[in-house]
Amino acid sequence: MSNFIQHVVDALSVGSTYALLALGLTLVFSVMNLINFAYGMMLVWSAYGAYVMLNHGVPFALMVPLCILFATFVSMAIGRVAFRPFIGAPPITLLITSFGVLLVIQYLAILFFGEEPTILSLPAFFGNVVDIGSVRVPVLELITIGTSGVVVGVFYLVLNRTAFGAQLRAAAELPDVTRLMGVKPDRVLMVAFAISGAIAGVVGLLWFAKVGAITPRSDLDPTIKAFIALVLGGLGSTRGALLGGLALGAIEVTLSATLPSSALGYQPAIVFAAVIAILILRPSGLSGTTLEPAR
Amino acid sequence: LIRPALRRDDVPGWAGLAGAVAGPLLAVGIVTGIAALFYSNDTMTEIVLLFGINAVMVVGFQVFVGNTGLVSFGHVAFMAIGAYATGIVSMDSLDKSIVLKDLPGWLAQTHFGVVPALIVGGGAAAVFALITGLALMRLSGAAASIATLGLLVITVNILSQAGRFTHGPRSIFGVPDKTNFLWVFSSLAVAVLISALYKWSRSGLRARANRDDVVAAESAGVASLRARLLPFVLSAFLTGVGGGLYGMLLTAFSPASFAIPMVVVIITMAIIGGVNSITGALAGAAVVTVLNEFLRRVENGVDIAGLHLNTPTGMSGAVLGVALILVLRWRPAGLLSAYELQFERGRDRPASIPSAAPASNPSPGGTHAGQRV
Repeated sequence: MSNFIQHVVDALSVGSTYALLALGLTLVFSVMNLINFAYGMMLVWSAYGAYVMLNHGVPFALMVPLCILFATFVSMAIGRVAFRPFIGAPPITLLITSFGVLLVIQYLAILFFGEEPTILSLPAFFGNVVDIGSVRVPVLELITIGTSGVVVGVFYLVLNRTAFGAQLRAAAELPDVTRLMGVKPDRVLMVAFAISGAIAGVVGLLWFAKVGAITPRSDLDPTIKAFIALVLGGLGSTRGALLGGLALGAIEVTLSATLPSSALGYQPAIVFAAVIAILILRPSGLSGTTLEPAR
Repeated sequence: LIRPALRRDDVPGWAGLAGAVAGPLLAVGIVTGIAALFYSNDTMTEIVLLFGINAVMVVGFQVFVGNTGLVSFGHVAFMAIGAYATGIVSMDSLDKSIVLKDLPGWLAQTHFGVVPALIVGGGAAAVFALITGLALMRLSGAAASIATLGLLVITVNILSQAGRFTHGPRSIFGVPDKTNFLWVFSSLAVAVLISALYKWSRSGLRARANRDDVVAAESAGVASLRARLLPFVLSAFLTGVGGGLYGMLLTAFSPASFAIPMVVVIITMAIIGGVNSITGALAGAAVVTVLNEFLRRVENGVDIAGLHLNTPTGMSGAVLGVALILVLRWRPAGLLSAYELQFERGRDRPASIPSAAPASNPSPGGTHAGQRV
């Protein structure tokens, strides 16, 4: 039984990171149909930001908000320079554009930090383990689950209780009408990139706190996980993003707990095969919304 | 009077087909000629061979992406399968007894020549594409792109785990060093011939009809799955052959050789050249190769007007990224757009007939040329 609870906690912690990643991606997708290949690189940059600040003696409690601000700013800058000129372009053009963006910001990371892994040394309590009854839970997993809960809560508050959120939802649903109502599409886009960047800032810290070391090429894993979560849940819906992320976490943890050790090496292949199987049964994802434009 | 021209549509009839197939072959001839000039220079041989191999793979990539409009991030998987399959069947049995001790008996004995080995490589990739395509080709748009990225992840995972056949995550070595100018550029000519014949075939037309307007195509009896599956398999075959050539050029490679940087190369070549055109695939491969080579030299340091310039390694990736963005911004359909080099009869071609509208006309819903990048 305690084993089972352990797995549930694992799945929740892994799944909630994926859910946040998918949430950040889906937000931008819903306003401009962009699936951002460079999103994983945002996490890497957020982690590098944390590394630089910690190295310069910025206290941890101050570093976290600064890091999130930094990621927000970077995301808005990229959105403004690279993606804004492509508003209205077909999704595939946008996808490949983001691929180009990835190459550029990855090169900048190589330029500043080199190809060698950079160790992110966080306060010691991140590595601790607490005993809850008979279950031993790493503190980082608890922090991850807690933070994700807070982020999702704030996200929904912003989306449903602020003018920005209302404009965002309107622009996602009926862009033309929203424009006619006097909402500037540029500003909506910038708000979407800002929120998506802030989420990337948070996830970047959580992700690399777990991994421990940052390299300019460690963006691929989070990007792929976010993509899977995104299509698994259904493109363009926030509910789908959360559902897809948690489902992916559950699939991964279940597989690593149940697969015989000889098949464990094939786990990534089996996860992907499972996801493709789900997509064939439900082409528009688990949440079932079809917000992808019919072409 | 027969003259070469850039056209978007095929000329009807057998003469038109011949002209539409001969044009890209002329482009191959030009490319091969230029490559041959550089090949005589010792420092350039490897670059020329890599260019030819990349061109084979970009032509293969174009068969799928150009005709179906789906962007694949997974073609490097076919390349990897081609490289491994070609490598395994062409290796010396003595080398196999060292590197791949646990191969089943029948595979341990095979020792194929270049052509059969390349066909095995392409065939293995095609079979893999047929099996996975039955599932993947049901998806469309961005979901399909992401699923093909998944295909690459799955393939690299399996290749590193199936150590009995692939020597696992470590390098496989001892693959015969058979790739030379003749094999590379004759493969390129064959690849272009196959893709041009396919493009102007009924099946190619069905695939493009499905690309331009799914609903209209389906209501006219074009089944989406079938229309996409054949170009997928054909394209996997050509990419697999390219992978086989690549494997016999490297002679030692590991699953990690087939990763995102390889995807970057193929996609930028195809997009910059124009993904809807075979001639464009060749042009894109040439432009990116020249750009890459120039950047590589700059990375090693160059002197321009007395200034010694030296940039850190890895810059080529960033420049390719910028080039990709700029092309997509100002010429979203690529340098050659959907235009092909073709031969046409000069004299009796009427100035303009409305019914001769380009075969790849944008669908009524389409707004601009970037619609089908």
